[in-house]
Amino acid sequence: MATLSEKKTCSERMENFRRFVWNPETKQFMGRTLINWVWISLYYLAFYVVMTGLFSLALYSLMRTLNPYEPDYQDQLKSPGVTLRPDVYGERGLQIYYNISDNKTWDGFVTTLQTFLTAYTPAAQLLNVNCTSDTYFIQDTFDGPNKTKLSCKFTSDMLQNCSGLTDPTFGFPEGNPCLIIKMNRIIKFYPGNGTAPRVDCTYVGDDSRPLEVDYYPVNGTFNLHYFPYYGKKAQPTYTNPLVAVKLLNITRNEEFKIVCRVIGTGIISDNVHDPYEGKVEFRLKIDN
Amino acid sequence: MGKEESYELGPRGQAPPKGAAAAKGRGRRKKERLEDMKKEMDVDDHKLELPDLEAKYCTSLTRGLGPGAAAERLLRDGPNELRPPRGTPECLKFARQLAGGLQCLMWVAAAICLVAFGIQRGQGDLTSADDLYLAIALIAVVVVTGCFGYYQEFKSTNIIASFKNLVPQQATVIREGDKFQIDANQLVVGDVVEIKGGDRVPADIRILSAQGCKVDNSSLTGESEPQTRSPECTHESPLETRNIAFFSTMCLEGTATGLVINTGDRTIIGRIASLASGVENEKTPIAIEIEHFVDIIAGLAIFFGGTFFVVAMVIGYPFLRAMVFFMAIVVAYVPEGLLATVTVCLSLTAKRLARKNCVVKNLEAVETLGSTSVICSDKTGTLTQNRMTVAHLWFDNQIHTADTTEDQSGQSFDQSSETWRALSRIVTLCNRAVFKPGQDNVPVAKREVIGDASETALLKFAEATVGNVAEQRSRYPKVFEVPFTSANKFQVSVHEAGERLLLVLKGAPERVLERCGSVMLKGQELPLDQQWREAFESAYAELGGRGERVLGFCQGYLEGPGEGLSAEQLPGEGLCFTGLVAMIDPPRASVPAAVRKCRTAGIRVIMVTGDHPITARAIAGSVGIISEGSETPEDLAARLRLPLEQVDYRQARARVLTGAQLQEMEPAALVDALRTHPEMVFARTSPQQKLIIVESCQRLGAIVAVTGDGVNDSPALKKADIGVAMGIAGSDAAKNAADMILLDDNFASIVTGVEQGRLIFDNLKKSIAYTLTKNIPELTPYLVYITASVPLPLGCITILFIELCTDIFPSVSLAYERAESDIMHLKPRNPRRDRLVNEPLAAYSYFQIGAMQSFAGFVDYFVALAQEGWWPALVLGLRPRWEDTREQELQDSYGQQWTFAQRLRQQYTCYTVFFISIEMCQIADVLIRKTRRLSLLQQGLLRNHILVIAIVFQVSIGCFLCYCPGMPYIFNFMPIRFQWWLVPMPFGILILLYDEIRKLGVRRHPGSWWDRELYY
Repeated sequence: MATLSEKKTCSERMENFRRFVWNPETKQFMGRTLINWVWISLYYLAFYVVMTGLFSLALYSLMRTLNPYEPDYQDQLKSPGVTLRPDVYGERGLQIYYNISDNKTWDGFVTTLQTFLTAYTPAAQLLNVNCTSDTYFIQDTFDGPNKTKLSCKFTSDMLQNCSGLTDPTFGFPEGNPCLIIKMNRIIKFYPGNGTAPRVDCTYVGDDSRPLEVDYYPVNGTFNLHYFPYYGKKAQPTYTNPLVAVKLLNITRNEEFKIVCRVIGTGIISDNVHDPYEGKVEFRLKIDN
Repeated sequence: MGKEESYELGPRGQAPPKGAAAAKGRGRRKKERLEDMKKEMDVDDHKLELPDLEAKYCTSLTRGLGPGAAAERLLRDGPNELRPPRGTPECLKFARQLAGGLQCLMWVAAAICLVAFGIQRGQGDLTSADDLYLAIALIAVVVVTGCFGYYQEFKSTNIIASFKNLVPQQATVIREGDKFQIDANQLVVGDVVEIKGGDRVPADIRILSAQGCKVDNSSLTGESEPQTRSPECTHESPLETRNIAFFSTMCLEGTATGLVINTGDRTIIGRIASLASGVENEKTPIAIEIEHFVDIIAGLAIFFGGTFFVVAMVIGYPFLRAMVFFMAIVVAYVPEGLLATVTVCLSLTAKRLARKNCVVKNLEAVETLGSTSVICSDKTGTLTQNRMTVAHLWFDNQIHTADTTEDQSGQSFDQSSETWRALSRIVTLCNRAVFKPGQDNVPVAKREVIGDASETALLKFAEATVGNVAEQRSRYPKVFEVPFTSANKFQVSVHEAGERLLLVLKGAPERVLERCGSVMLKGQELPLDQQWREAFESAYAELGGRGERVLGFCQGYLEGPGEGLSAEQLPGEGLCFTGLVAMIDPPRASVPAAVRKCRTAGIRVIMVTGDHPITARAIAGSVGIISEGSETPEDLAARLRLPLEQVDYRQARARVLTGAQLQEMEPAALVDALRTHPEMVFARTSPQQKLIIVESCQRLGAIVAVTGDGVNDSPALKKADIGVAMGIAGSDAAKNAADMILLDDNFASIVTGVEQGRLIFDNLKKSIAYTLTKNIPELTPYLVYITASVPLPLGCITILFIELCTDIFPSVSLAYERAESDIMHLKPRNPRRDRLVNEPLAAYSYFQIGAMQSFAGFVDYFVALAQEGWWPALVLGLRPRWEDTREQELQDSYGQQWTFAQRLRQQYTCYTVFFISIEMCQIADVLIRKTRRLSLLQQGLLRNHILVIAIVFQVSIGCFLCYCPGMPYIFNFMPIRFQWWLVPMPFGILILLYDEIRKLGVRRHPGSWWDRELYY
């Protein structure tokens, strides 16, 4: 088709483009007359106004159907994640490397822990109630002020030696550092099926040598009265219970890989796709 | 008829200077090429005496060349074989397939993916494997489509291979007085070779001596009658003369000795081969359309990608992330599955056509056929049945019409007259043709006959009308005969008829009439007076004017014994004239209807034939190429009683041009003639002129289909936008040069092809509209992701699944859609104006339907997020924290804390939900694309079963991807909740309703603003 594939010179192309931008004969700008542009713009304006309206309507009705206290589904939250404080990430995940003799290397860890524990001072926990029972704290009614539910107190002194009150350096200079394990909160999650879940830390890949640790509170349990969680709106002052792990007799100048699992019925810690589900792994190296 | 057709290959090799002048007007490059050919056509070897020939080629006609001279010449001229054209190397062809506009973009995208993968892997990133997958997927897509394209191209470009197969393996050559068997490619100019029946002629040779040598030139000229070869020069033109035999033609019988005058590429066939490969393959309209469209898409993809790259950089993303965004936008915007869809749609139509006797070699030709506006058709075999048939008889001073239909279903004439009985007896007896034995159950028309074309026609006619020729012949045993020669122009046979001898004679009517003293009327012999002679003349003129071959028949009685009769004893006059029989190669029954259909479809049918103008005119008239009431200048002259020179040619609708007239015309004059006369017939044209006619039509902007069968047609077939070769009569070279092959050689099949071609153009439009639409809901997630910093709604892998997996089948199923209206009543599309992808199509798909789909996707996305705990207000701007792999306790709107992996699963859920939304909307989309104008209810919602199956398939694939275990970590699909399938459905219904309103407006107000803006 010689007629269609004629080679055009550059100037012809430019001329064609210029005519396309403004054609003085037909008074067309970019292929349309001005009035045509107005019409088409109005049409699209109307179209998008209507579509945006429908979209807003859809979102509005979505928000109307949502329960403000708890989500409709928790498909991805079958089991809580577990986190560690201090949380310093290196190239290969969480790592706590420091030198006992160089306080600059562990100052940061101490500050992190102190800052973290400010949420657990008695003042911060003022609105929460003291709980003593060792069962789930089930509340079917809104007993708190302003249509809220009550939350149990968790103060840092419950962490005893690792509370930062008796030892503000959390054992770092001694080489027996305190680490804090926290479990993510999930609404209406009942961990342990009646028995309190507990933290258990071990060396990774070395079962022969038991890891010497002290757990605070005793046995490293999360007391059941902190569960279930009823959500931000129902329990605005809720704080996650913590377990502190004091590592003892760590061989110096050697890197270890340690995993702390939360053990309890309903807590999964063997999900290969989620390294933080039900457990937390970290590397530890304490130099002299 | 056909015997003296002149097939010249060059533009008038031996023609006077006028021919050269005609050649001047054409393009310079072409001119050079043709001049080249012409120069080589200046062969005068056929005119030289043998001693001169000997001197010219420095050889001995008896002893041949010496081995030294032969080796020297072989070195000088190269081997005697056709050199394949300097083609592009195969690997380069393949590479070209991998380097198209879209492909390059995909390569870039894949490279970016790989770089990103490398860098992220170096940083120990968890998600980086996605980028690797994506890179592999993109490369796979490019390579697979590349292989596909390469295969298509490979199939269609092996034209030269057929010429190669023509080269003979061995030749008998005389060198130094001894006969040798050597490889034919070792022959050189000046060699003396021997050929015998069954050989292929090893080079172009000048015949030195021959014994009953006949050659079959059909591979060269398409002329199937065996041609005698003898040492005498019988014609000026080297192509006409009897003393030259051509390379690659077949020697049928006899033996001959000849001198090699041309070898290899310098032979006639070699020059045609190089001419055929010299004519570039014209780009098909659909290829131009798709190229045009791909350019736009690629440009827009880069534009969007570039814009958002800059936006991302300005917002403060790192360079690498911005590059990944660029890549993602390219992947989202490029319709990866489109080329595959188009190819599959075309091959489906090709398959459908193959069932209707059209084999399409080059897929794109299917659509070209649909945009055809001119068909240059052969006559013999294509428009006609390619068999001589008795069409008319003249006896009892009256013209009778015989039945010429293929299946003998027509009306017969009155057979009660005594004259008819006598005439039929002559037809039966004065005929040397016989049926091959063992065909009693075969219908007469289909039986095989030994004998020439006219005798066969007469034999079949007699068998069909009178019945049992063999018995009739045995009743009148033949005692003597004089066969037909071109000198006496009649044939006589004498038969025993009881006591007497019956002499029957047939021949050229005027020669027959000379020998008659009386004429038969109703069985009575009447004297042949002046009145009868006039009646005879007018009948002869009338039948001849219809382009029919007329034979006269007479009979007489002789006394005495039949033994010892000689030709001289036969009476030279006083016979009784019984009648005339006129024969023609009648048009095929289906052709007039097909031509009419072409006409309503706005397609011009031009007849190009080597036949006599009168025959051509007659056939053109009877099939409707020249319609009833249309006049040629000759008709006008006759009606107005003016000399032809005074007739205003512009008043004539029709025109018959002969090759000779054409030769004297300037190319501009031909273009002008084509413009002035809507009905044109070219008679006595050479194949070279066919090429010129095709070019002239193309110069008028027409898309031209050409039919042909001979080797010599191959340049025209290649030049044509669509070359159509004949499956039965066609030579291999023609079939190779053609884009399409008609298995039944029937013109009507072309019309079927046109119909299918038009349908596929419409359906491709629908298919492309469908395919394009989803690019917007694939693109918008990225735009929103970058600008509003929400978690990514749709992943690249998911996009590839939509493009290459779920949506392929529905888009292909649109190829099965019925036509919305009678497409054969519309004009052919104007390739300049009626584009495949036009502005309304793109705008409507992208900015209206695509926008609706995006809204549907986002609604579903926000629903899935909100119901899992992430409210829209929180989600906006969440991206940096959401994607932070170190953040293991990100709080949702309810205060729950999520690890990164949990969020990633949520993100995959979003991908899946968005995917399902697009799928749901695409179901609505495929339904609205069924029609462009009609309401869906008028078209029938479920009538296209393939489409229904495609939708089911699409949903099944969607279910499989969502719910097959293991999908989350392989392809990032999550099992989603059932109600999230329902969320996009109202939008699907909205799309259906909106498009119905659009179609209603388009139907109600044709030509209105609405129609212009919204009809694609």
